Amino acid sequence: MTNVYIEGIGMTKFGKFVDKSMKQLLVEASIEALEDAGNPKVDAVFVGNFMGGSIGNQEILGALVANELGLGYIPTAKVEGACASGGIALRQGIMGILSGEYDTVLIAGVEKMKHASTADVTQAINAAMDNDSNEKQAGLTFPGFFGVLANRYFYETDATKEHLAMIALKNRENALHNPLAQFQKPTTIAEIMEARIITSPLGLFDCSPTTDGAAALVITRKKGAIHIRSSAQSSGPTQMQDADDVLSLPAVRESGRLAYERAGVGPEDIDVVEIHDCFSMTEMLAIEELGFFNKREGWLAVEQGRTKATGDKPVNTSGGLLSRGHPIGATGVAQLYQLVQQLRGIAPNQVEHARLALAQNLGGTGSYSTVHILERL
Amino acid sequence: MKVYQCDQCEYASVSNKYRCPSCGTGKLQEQDVSSRGTVYSYTDIHIAPAEFAHLTPYTVALIQLDESKAKVTARTNGNVEIGDVAELDHIEDGAYIYRKC
Ligand SMILES: [Zn+2]
Repeated sequence: MTNVYIEGIGMTKFGKFVDKSMKQLLVEASIEALEDAGNPKVDAVFVGNFMGGSIGNQEILGALVANELGLGYIPTAKVEGACASGGIALRQGIMGILSGEYDTVLIAGVEKMKHASTADVTQAINAAMDNDSNEKQAGLTFPGFFGVLANRYFYETDATKEHLAMIALKNRENALHNPLAQFQKPTTIAEIMEARIITSPLGLFDCSPTTDGAAALVITRKKGAIHIRSSAQSSGPTQMQDADDVLSLPAVRESGRLAYERAGVGPEDIDVVEIHDCFSMTEMLAIEELGFFNKREGWLAVEQGRTKATGDKPVNTSGGLLSRGHPIGATGVAQLYQLVQQLRGIAPNQVEHARLALAQNLGGTGSYSTVHILERL
Repeated sequence: MKVYQCDQCEYASVSNKYRCPSCGTGKLQEQDVSSRGTVYSYTDIHIAPAEFAHLTPYTVALIQLDESKAKVTARTNGNVEIGDVAELDHIEDGAYIYRKC
């Protein structure tokens, strides 16, 4: 259990914003979160970001936020953990409050990707692989990693590409009701199944897009309505060839186990979930690793509609990374934005009487994972 | 092919580590084993980062070695299916290039 509460949330629309700088996106989301929190005094800032340096030539993001918002000469830092940068930034803020050093911390996450070419972005994303390895040299990529996992999953179960399409369709249908989501055009199973192949069996709709956007949270030790019951983080193998079981993501499993243990709840108690669906296949594995469904049976739950907003275990009511969008450093923070809305009862695809919520944020090919469990008091 | 085998438990990897990540106490010992193995899974990559774009489409497979618990990630020259038997053809820019037997 932590003594940390979420007091304010902010988020920009996700999409393509070539005319806005990374700083502008950060500031926009941060101001919204500060206003939502009633403009408290802020003791520190942690910013989640992955490729601001490599494709944006912009670092010092923590100091930029403090300066632009006039927060004073407070300590700030940028946190990098690939696609888990946002979740880890939040965790650093929580640790700062738990240590007694800070009372109130501003967490922000941001990425700007749409100005760069696909080849340049893919290249920059590959920095989250182990570059000094035969695996990277073989030409494995992130979508490639999850393509390998999907083919093995199909081999070991009765799941097919259509089950992955059901995940992609569900997340798109959720995004249609989320005004901040990147993709708001309806689609069909047929369109998803027939889309261009990226890394077999994964097609275009199975892969999260490149996105510009930012999200922010104000967390504090002052008791409020949204309690962070637990925060956990784990590492996992940085190479596919080192995985004990290719159909397992140990970082997800372990961070989930720790988060449940610290919160004193189990997967059966969770009312609403935001999972790191960088690929449809990732959502399939994560719903199993987090204990919502048995190993190698997630596809059955998907087929039965149990993870839809109307199901008994709603996953990614925001649209997820696949359709809300995936501005890498912002993703882990945006997950909390959606869950706080769920607990306040004002979310797109609102789950009735939601009281316990879980967010899971993944980085690399299973290299990092954070899990946060929230409770409405 | 070189693999690193834990002297305390079953763990093996194609890359060396300071200590065994599985049991936490063992030391990894270098071993020479046959490159022969079975395709555990694979993907055909159609969209790749700039440095591999000229190779597309290409296949990356995870090979379960016959003589070790270790698996190895390799590029294959030609399509493969799960269960195919394959062996090392050559090493190219640090990548293992496998072919079907
Ligand atoms: Zn060992």
